[in-house]
Amino acid sequence: MVKIVTDSLSDITSDIARGLGITVVPLTVFFGHESFLDRITITTDEFYYKLTHGAAWPTTTQPPPSAFADVYNKLAEETDAILAITLSSKLSGTYGSALNAKNLVKKKCRIEVIDSLTVAMGLGLIVIAAAKAAQAGANLDELIDLVHSAMSRSHLIAYFDTLKYLAKGGRIGKAQGLLGAVLSVKPILTVKDGEMSPLTRLRSQAAGMDYLYNFVAGFPHIEEVAVEHTTAPDEADRLVERLSSVFPRERIYRSTVSPVVGTYAGPGAMAVTVLEAEKK
Amino acid sequence: MKQVDTISGQDLREMFAVATAWLEKSASDIDALNVFPVPDGDTGTNMLLTMRSSIEEAYRAPDRSASAVVQAMADGALMGARGNSGVILSQIWRGLAQGLAEKESFTASDLANALLQASTMAYKGINNPVEGTILTVIREVASAAQAQAASGNNDLISVMEATLSAANESVANTPSLLPVLKEAGVVDAGGQGLYTILEGACRYLRGEAEQMKFRKPQIIVSNIPLITRSPQMIAADEVPYGYCTEFLLKGKGLDPDKIRTRLEKKGQSLIVVGNDSTIRVHIHTLDPGDVIHYATPLGTMHQVSIRNMDEQRQSFLEMQKERMPAVDMAIVAVVSGVGLTEVFTSLGVTAVVPGGQTMNPSTKDLLQAVESVASDKVIVLPNNKNVVLTAEQVQSLTGKSIKVVPTETVPQGVAALLAFDYEADFETNVQIMNKAKSAVRTIEITRAVRSTRLGGLNIKKNQAIGLLDGDLLAAGNDTSGVLNKMLAELNLNEAEVVTIYYGADTEPAEAERVSVTIREQYPQLQIEVIRGGQPHYNYIVSIE
Repeated sequence: MVKIVTDSLSDITSDIARGLGITVVPLTVFFGHESFLDRITITTDEFYYKLTHGAAWPTTTQPPPSAFADVYNKLAEETDAILAITLSSKLSGTYGSALNAKNLVKKKCRIEVIDSLTVAMGLGLIVIAAAKAAQAGANLDELIDLVHSAMSRSHLIAYFDTLKYLAKGGRIGKAQGLLGAVLSVKPILTVKDGEMSPLTRLRSQAAGMDYLYNFVAGFPHIEEVAVEHTTAPDEADRLVERLSSVFPRERIYRSTVSPVVGTYAGPGAMAVTVLEAEKK
Repeated sequence: MKQVDTISGQDLREMFAVATAWLEKSASDIDALNVFPVPDGDTGTNMLLTMRSSIEEAYRAPDRSASAVVQAMADGALMGARGNSGVILSQIWRGLAQGLAEKESFTASDLANALLQASTMAYKGINNPVEGTILTVIREVASAAQAQAASGNNDLISVMEATLSAANESVANTPSLLPVLKEAGVVDAGGQGLYTILEGACRYLRGEAEQMKFRKPQIIVSNIPLITRSPQMIAADEVPYGYCTEFLLKGKGLDPDKIRTRLEKKGQSLIVVGNDSTIRVHIHTLDPGDVIHYATPLGTMHQVSIRNMDEQRQSFLEMQKERMPAVDMAIVAVVSGVGLTEVFTSLGVTAVVPGGQTMNPSTKDLLQAVESVASDKVIVLPNNKNVVLTAEQVQSLTGKSIKVVPTETVPQGVAALLAFDYEADFETNVQIMNKAKSAVRTIEITRAVRSTRLGGLNIKKNQAIGLLDGDLLAAGNDTSGVLNKMLAELNLNEAEVVTIYYGADTEPAEAERVSVTIREQYPQLQIEVIRGGQPHYNYIVSIE
């Protein structure tokens, strides 16, 4: 069976990862000189507490090639085909690490690495789709085709409650135009061509939640839906409740936004991802 | 700690060969800093080519004394100078060569003196020196070097480090000296280039040549707050750009000052530098033939380059199109008041036409604004009932596609602008914006210009009056009282956001008190108080 590898920015919870046999390689978060492995030595709750209460501004780094190599080597004991799917290479050097790590694998094993050009559950739903297909017996070439198809069908949008963290982090790409606003505005962003890109701007959280709801409701054929947040579990519950009118509630994936993206999203952010059904 | 007391000619050459390689890594990043209209299009590349020519000549120097090497570098820079910043760079080298004349090797205080000469020389070649450019940077670098050398420190590394940190600060400060940089949100490209060269030289002295192979120079980020996009305040009739004309003149007994005086009236951005045998000329002119015609009898012409700057500008606009999201559409808004202009600009309006109540812009004003933006599709936000009709006239006067979203108040304009969808097309955006404008209610508080009786209200001249979406609803003696009365008319329980823009004649403290009153009554509301600075209206309030 083909083994699926991804990074912690996929926002795949440990339950899902275990159930579908996905190996998640963590990125590293630094607060000053303290370093943490994303979701392993720091929980998302601890992270957001430190982000909003601490003095140190967090920085993040991609996993080194050796971290992927360790995973590849271990998996190569039990399989001869591995598919690694990483977050957008335009947001992090993780893809490069995953690719370079191939040279550090001794056993004979075919390893393919795909740059998903997206992030968070935009990536997560692609990985989940691949893992399900792998469990159903798809081979590596079939999985590569599936991932490329899923990449074109995965649509993520995010509501940020504040622009403060996005501005501080500096990693904003085309979202630059949102900064410097005199009014307090709540941006809606998406991932376009692998980069964060502005979609529109709203004035209130309520309007933001309406926008996310209408975004999902606008898709006629939905395969999967994910809802994730940084520090707003109650708001996420309410959104899931509303979405249950367009998609079965028990099938909606719930997660929290990984600390790495959370550094920019800040508290109160919410994201929804739709994996469109394949057109028949 | 490593210390360097003197630098020989050979060291000097190696040092700047490494600095040139360092600059090369950053050249395209520096090119990207350009803002138009700029005297030359590719600052990073031009400075790199100038430095390369300088280094090549350094390897041909007759002997290895510092003076011979630096003189060769100055000659090389002059021969190879490209563009405005390249020519100024060649002047800097010329100053350094003068400062280090007859030196076998040089010390910290020699370097400080030479940098001072370099700064003087850089200003000298130019007719109208502009601050906030490479000129400011070399001047501040020179004075930092002076200060460091005067402190009695003989270590060349610490002098170079002092110049480098002065250069860094100076570059970071360029946007506050040159508005065009501030608007574009970048530092000056020429200044950045000079910083990168100095950084490369300094790293060489510190013995970091090996590590530099694996690193890349950084572009300095200014901590001066950016203006997101420049509101193209319309519109002095556009200045034609003409031709960027450059050449090298070789001859005998040439007189740079005389040539400069003669060319002064033939164009703009004139630079004439060099000596009695070689002179480099850079000018922006509408008639390059005239310039060439004047120079030809003086000697022989080399490296003649004439480039059409209107074409350059066109390709620059093309490049901007690729960089900016959705720049194939532009939004023109009619706004008055400093604060409100800032609000609209920060939300991405491409051009602002000043105007509003009692100062309605003409069709021509609006037409000029529409023509001034780079996009062919333009959305106009009149933001006033009396401007809507004028705005609608523009369509018949221009080849561009115009859509007027008939916003009648400032809050409607803001709501429409906010709703702009970066991914949607022109037609869809017009629909979205039309819909968004109807979702907001507007209260305006102003003063009655005459006594009247209207809608059952007796109004005295100069009394405060309140309008809800343009309809007169309340009058009274004090403005905040009328505002509170107006707010009471509305069902604020269903509102989410209340934004209060207070006018030029309103005290911030009064506006703050009004917001406190509302907050006490409706704690669930998100309330913002913003200095709109608009004339006539004490308050414009948006209720969403």
